[in-house]
Amino acid sequence: MNGKRLRLLIWKEFLQLRRDPLFLRLAMAMPIIQLVLFGYVVAADVTNLKTAVIDLDRTPASRTIAASFAASDYFNIVARPDGEDALRPLLDRNEIALAIVIPAGTQASLERGEVAGIGIVVDGSDSSTASVGTSYASRVIAGYNALPDAGPGAKASVRVVFNQSLRTVNTMIPGLIATIMMISVLAIMSQAVVKERERGTLEQMFTTPISRGEYLVGKVVPYMVLSGVQALFVATIGTLWFRVPFYGSVWVVLTGLLLFMLTNVGMGLLISLVSRTRQQAQQMMMFVMLPTMILSGFIFPIESMPDAIKPFTAAIPMTHALVVMRGAFVKGAGFDALATPLLALAGFAVAIFGLAVVLMRRRLSE
Amino acid sequence: MRASAARIAALVRKEFTHLFRDPRSLALVLLLPVVELLLFAWAISFDVREVPTIIWDADGSAASRAYVQQYAAGGFFTVKGSADSYDDIDKAFERGQARVAVVVPAGFQRAQDAGLRADVQVLVDGGEPTSARMGEAYALALNQRYNATSFASWVARTPGASVDAPTTGVLEPRVRTWYNPDRLSSVFLIPGLVVVIIMIVTVQQTAVTIVRERDQHTAEQMLVSPLSHTELVVGKLLPWTVLAFVDMAIVVGLGMGLFELPMRGSWAVLAAGSVLFVFASLAIGLIISSVTPSPETANIAAIMVAFLPSFLLSGFAFPIASMPPVLQAVTYAFPAREMVTISRGVFLKGAGLADVWTELLQLTAYAVVAVGVAVRLYGRRARR
Repeated sequence: MNGKRLRLLIWKEFLQLRRDPLFLRLAMAMPIIQLVLFGYVVAADVTNLKTAVIDLDRTPASRTIAASFAASDYFNIVARPDGEDALRPLLDRNEIALAIVIPAGTQASLERGEVAGIGIVVDGSDSSTASVGTSYASRVIAGYNALPDAGPGAKASVRVVFNQSLRTVNTMIPGLIATIMMISVLAIMSQAVVKERERGTLEQMFTTPISRGEYLVGKVVPYMVLSGVQALFVATIGTLWFRVPFYGSVWVVLTGLLLFMLTNVGMGLLISLVSRTRQQAQQMMMFVMLPTMILSGFIFPIESMPDAIKPFTAAIPMTHALVVMRGAFVKGAGFDALATPLLALAGFAVAIFGLAVVLMRRRLSE
Repeated sequence: MRASAARIAALVRKEFTHLFRDPRSLALVLLLPVVELLLFAWAISFDVREVPTIIWDADGSAASRAYVQQYAAGGFFTVKGSADSYDDIDKAFERGQARVAVVVPAGFQRAQDAGLRADVQVLVDGGEPTSARMGEAYALALNQRYNATSFASWVARTPGASVDAPTTGVLEPRVRTWYNPDRLSSVFLIPGLVVVIIMIVTVQQTAVTIVRERDQHTAEQMLVSPLSHTELVVGKLLPWTVLAFVDMAIVVGLGMGLFELPMRGSWAVLAAGSVLFVFASLAIGLIISSVTPSPETANIAAIMVAFLPSFLLSGFAFPIASMPPVLQAVTYAFPAREMVTISRGVFLKGAGLADVWTELLQLTAYAVVAVGVAVRLYGRRARR
């Protein structure tokens, strides 16, 4: 390894980056766009569901029930049709997301001390709203039911620990730091070698005294720096603009991110080495990224996945990176609590990066 | 110069030859939709259930066991183990082994025997906000049910107890899910997935192939041939149009065959919407190819203009109604939003022309404008 040659190589990569100003601008705009999209769209908490209330009972009790729905932030009552027939067109045209049906005789059966059913009609063509709406509705009904404090039973106090405000952004942003790093490292590294090979500059490179090791370091370092800057940027915006609290240790986060970055650099290099054209590399990247985004628990919680799928999620490096990032940000977890995911990440980093280096040596000497 | 069918056909053949020479690429284009479909249909569920729960039963009595048993019954909580201290609970939360902890302090049985309410704690980990919110609601409901039944049996057991206790009924939610009664997430997602896939294939692939041609300097060669601009564009875009529809057929076929996707509306409306949407998407791909200098840039631009918006701003998985108003306005800038509404309406709600004509109109307008801009930009770029 020769320091001067390395410096020149790194300089060359930066020069090439600057030659394509649009690329650089896009690379910087990407995190911002993702922050906006994930911070405001994916992390949006469903509130103000457009709701129709059908009161077939028309008694003081039924009006109180309707009022308790109207009073909650979760529901925004936009229609009060007279009968259930009116529901279908409202749902068909997406004018409401949910309907509450209070059947006739509700007050009477409550007075008799019976269990009275309240109809909650949800639009199953929008699964996420349907399932959130159902739980909000049962919550409102539970509030109405607040029984007199008499007789035996349990007086349950339900308390949220960690992320008490239940803001989804608080868990989304820590995950986003890892995601953006993965996307940009993969996008760039997967093109790195295949691009030089496609253009025939790879051969030129090796007629110079540059060694393979130097070439590797020269290729990897600039983009690791770039993605490190990106991650820092996302973390800054996350804490300052989205007001995401940070309870953990910076060292835990840095360790996790570094291991995860190495894994991705290795993955990107592997893709670049096995692809013959840039287009292939880009498609392969999509193939790697999609399962990662879906199965890692970044957007959709792993708990709700079927049992047959759950073991596969552990085979994805990002799953562990997310546990580290979220654990550190939201719960202030330290090295001892996060030992398992960190070790898993280290394993991935060694295996994937190592494989990439080995394969690179072999491919380049061909 | 008039467009010649023979020349276009030759160009289309050339594109397909490129594609078949590169079987991995072809396999990827055809496999990607299938992988996506399987992932979305199998892995994702919007219903939270089996939330890992740990129990700290400090009373250890028959009554407390009966109470704790309530959490194990019903599909929402899954009892994963027990704890003996708050430290245990903290650790389980930090390691992500549990999301809910139920603490039953000593004296539970005594309180029950005396006909009193016993204090119980339910701790919910807010690290996964959606399941935490549902966990709260379910825990409250569960305790009310428990109280109602134990109150009833206490009244029956204890003579004279009911005299001063008020008898009040309980409300109970009865949920009916329309259009998708089993709440299969696949049924919800597949109509939208079709849109995402078309967008990826048309926008990203066209943009990158066209820019690559320029990058490898074969575009100039093409220009010295008798091919006109129009022929070049049509010949370049046709193969991807065909592939987009093939992908769509695969996804819809698998969805209806394997995942119980119903088709309640009219194929004609869906076809009309798809054609307009594909035109609009191809035009976006062309626009990207005209303004980007290199395939890498084209790729990133395509991800930002095609993939992210169709994934996140179309209502495909994330409800538009809960976005901030500014972003709701932004969703209109991409044709995916209209197409998801049409697709979902036709497949699930049996929507006809009368229900989705506004969306179709918007798509038409979008397609006309996008194609106009694309032809302008592409022509200018080619003349230089």
